[in-house]
Formats: sequence, structure tokens, C-alpha cells
Amino acid sequence: MFDILSVIFKYVFVIIIYLFIFTIIRMIYLDIKTIGSTTGDLKAYLKVLNPLDSIPYKMEDTYVLEDELTVGRSSDNSIVIRDPYVSKHHLKISLDESNYFIEDLKSSNGTMLNGNKLEDVSLLKTGDIIKAGDIELMFIHKG
Amino acid sequence: MGSSISKIPIRLLFIFEILSLSLIFMYRWDNLDFNTFATGIGLILLVYFSNSVLRRISSGDHYIFLIVSMMFSIGLIMIFRISSDLGVKQLLWLLIGIGVFFLSYFTIKKIDVWDKMITLYLGVAYGLFAMTFILGSRLRGAINWVNIGGVSFQPAEVTKIALIFFLAAYYFNLEKYSKNKYSEWIVMGIVYSYIGLLFLQRDLGTALIFFGIYTGLQYIYCSGRRYELANLSLAVLGGTLGYVLFDHVKVRVTTWINPWPYINDKGYQITQSLFAIAEGSYFGTGLGRGNPAFIPLSYNDFIFSSISEEMGVFTGIGIIMLFVLLVYRGFKIALLQNHKFYRIVALGISLMFGLQAFIIIGGAIKVIPLTGLTLPFISYGGSSIVSSFLALGILQGASEKVVKEDEYNE
Repeated sequence: MFDILSVIFKYVFVIIIYLFIFTIIRMIYLDIKTIGSTTGDLKAYLKVLNPLDSIPYKMEDTYVLEDELTVGRSSDNSIVIRDPYVSKHHLKISLDESNYFIEDLKSSNGTMLNGNKLEDVSLLKTGDIIKAGDIELMFIHKG
Repeated sequence: MGSSISKIPIRLLFIFEILSLSLIFMYRWDNLDFNTFATGIGLILLVYFSNSVLRRISSGDHYIFLIVSMMFSIGLIMIFRISSDLGVKQLLWLLIGIGVFFLSYFTIKKIDVWDKMITLYLGVAYGLFAMTFILGSRLRGAINWVNIGGVSFQPAEVTKIALIFFLAAYYFNLEKYSKNKYSEWIVMGIVYSYIGLLFLQRDLGTALIFFGIYTGLQYIYCSGRRYELANLSLAVLGGTLGYVLFDHVKVRVTTWINPWPYINDKGYQITQSLFAIAEGSYFGTGLGRGNPAFIPLSYNDFIFSSISEEMGVFTGIGIIMLFVLLVYRGFKIALLQNHKFYRIVALGISLMFGLQAFIIIGGAIKVIPLTGLTLPFISYGGSSIVSSFLALGILQGASEKVVKEDEYNE
């Protein structure tokens, strides 16, 4: 009796173990897919160029751009940079007929666009680098 | 993700445990007492509840504990099958281990001074080494057991974690320490002093793990390539010297290259292990129908061979896949973690699990020279189980984002 059960169970065990592994892999895969789709289908976004572990405060890797986005030190901004050289409301990026424009909000230390100080409202192109305080953001716009 | 798929692994685990324990209870029917039965049921319930509680209270990773639950369930039935005494003890160790897991998880989460206590980690490591040499007893060629008040344990299991924390604290505060330009050499000296002490205890497997963890973390976080070169040349030099000077190292290498002439003495373990794996074939002989008693330490260092014999090479491959998944999740945790200290700790712990599994499974199937180590979560042994759960709890804690924002607020 025991022998028969033991022989049957050995197949059952292998099946259960592999089903288990398969489900876990599938769950991990679904996890990755949901993470991937949040950046994969984006039209426009800002990517933080500084290595995240060199920044002594919390920042995300990428920020999605929609109609309007503000950057600054105070918490009501879309991107919060807790750098003392960043003003409370530092800069604004807004959408106008499928183009994004950047504007400095009279910040005390200014905004750099591709290494030049931003004076007026400017059109953003893919690959432009925006610098506020020590943080560098790359603007990416697909299609 | 729907809730339907996320419940499947827990259910599969539940079915697996019920089936395997009932088979084992049947096998051990004659000397089954009520306590064993109750502990078995208790474990199943505990695993089920721990997994569901963890899903609720932890915002971090939900896979590692699940993967580990499967591992120790496989290990537990094998140990029970080999000896019911050891099985009952293993059950108790698992209960304690799960307790330690939650304890270390909460401790890591609540206390936040881990990155500042580098001297404590040093002190703990050297203290444990001193204790081993003073109180240690020699078992199977290695002095790595300490017996205090009837409870014996392997201090090196805790030293591993102290080493990871030490390296993490060092690389986290690298800027501060690198003002002293010899700091990297000092750290290397400290790590090699650990490895040397382990060599003297003849605990070669653990020495190899220490070297692996250090090399891995150094490769990732140390900026100077000359340090890595120095580390590798030291390892080659040390290995060669060890081979020439120590007989027990030479034996390991000879029996690895060709164990067959020494089948009656030095090569007995490894040849029995190979016979067992070959005997099992793809699906194994079935629980209780093989001869794991022929393999020395079939419940401990060679549990992989025993499992392969009775549950098949497919289960063996399954165990390897579970370890791969565990290490993958560990690296993923490290990648998602913003805080550098916890990131290094997560990396170190994943490296530790991966290396330990590789070294002992590789040894048992004669891929690398055999060194005595336990297979984490699967082998029998209190210190191994408890310290592995301790490390897992730390990993679980590190999977939650620890961001110290308050310090930088205006």
C-alpha cells in the first residue's frame, strides 16, 4: 500500500513543485510587465540623469509629462527637489499644441537649459538637458 | 495583477505540505506520537498564515518567503523520511526560524542605526571567532561547533551576517573612510583575517563563502581595480598555499578530480552521493524506497543527493531553480532599494544564499571540490535554519523602501 502511494506521490510532488515554480515565474513576469508598461508607452517624460543613490533625498527615475509640470523645493510641485539651491517654485513645463515649453519661475539661482541660462520661455526638444540646482533632467518626447 | 493568480502558489504549497506530511506520517506510523502530528499540522498552518500575514503587513517583496517555504517543505519531508527524531527537531527549528524571521524583519524596519555600527560588526565577528577557538569542539575535521548549556551552534553562521553588515557599513560610509588612503587595504586585511581563521578551523566551505561575498561586493562598490587584482591574486596564492600545506585541502581536490580509486575511504562520500543521484533517475525511487542511509550526512550536507535519489533529478533541478529565483528576487530588492546601505546588505545576503547553494550542490554532484556546508533552508540543522531565516528577515526588511526624508526637510 505504502509503496504504491509513494510511487504515485513522487510524480505528484514533481508536478506540484514545477507548477509552483511556474506560477511564481509567471507572477514575477506579470509584475515586470506592469512596471515596464508605465515607462514603455510614454509619450513624453523627464529622466533624472544623476545616479539616484548619489541624491540624498527621494527622487524617482522618470517623471511623466502631461499638461503641466512644475519643479521646485516645496511639496506642492510635481517634481520635488529638496536641494537648497532650488527655489520653492523653480520652473514650469507646459504643453501647447503637442509641443512642450519650459519657463523659469524667477528662481533665485536660475535654470540651465543645455548649459545656457534660461531667460525666456523656450521650446523643448528631445534630448534637452534641464538643470536645476544639482539635478539634471533629460527631456524625452516620442513622436 | 488579479488576486486569482497570486493565491495559487500558497495553495500549491499547502497541498504539497499536506500530501508530503501525510505520506511521511504513514511511513512512520509505528512510532508516531501525538506531538509530532500536532507540530506538523502547526507548521502547515503557520506557513499558510505567515505567507498571508506577510502579504498584508509588508509592502516589500512577496516572493522570497514563499520560495523559501517551498524549499524547507521539501527539506523537511526528506529529513523526516531519513530519521523521525531529526524530523521532529527540524520541525521545531523551523518554527523558531519563522519566529526569528519576523523578529529580524521588524528589527531591521524599526531600528535605523545599522549603517553606523561598523565597530560592533567587527567586534561580533572576532568575538565569535574567539569563542569558537576557546569553546569549540572538533566535528568531522572542522572546529566550528560551540556548545553552551547543551545547545550547540555554529558561530560562523552568524559571522557571515556580521561580515555582510561590516562590508555594507564600510562601503556606505566610503567617503568618510577613504580619507585614510589605506582603508581599502585595511578592510581587505580584516576580511582575509576572517578567511585565515576559518582556514585554521578547517571550515573551508564557509571560508569560500566569505571570499565570494567580499569579492562580489568589492567588484560592485570598490573603485580601484588594483584592489580587485590584489584580492584575486591573494586568493590564488592562498589557495595554492593551502593545497601545498594542508592535507585536508589536498584530499578535497584529489577526490574531486578522481574519487574512484579512494572509494573505500576518502572518496566514499562523493561516490555514494553520485550513486544516489544516478539511482534516482528523473522521478526518483519514491519516498521511503531508496537508500539514503548509504550516503554519509544524507540529511545535512548531502541532502541534495538524498532528495535527488528519492524524489528525482527533476526535484533536484527544481531546488536549483528555487535558489535561482530567490537570488533573482534578492538582486531585484537591491535594485529597487534607494538606501545604499540596505542595498549592499540585500546584495550580500543574496550572494550568500546563492554561493552557499552553489558550493554545496556543486560539491555533491562533483562539479567543484566538496566542502562541508549546509544547503540553506533545506538541510537539517538549527544554526543553519535560524541564521538563514535571520538573513531572510533582513532581506524582507530591505525590500521595503527605507528613505530617510525627514533629515532633508526644511
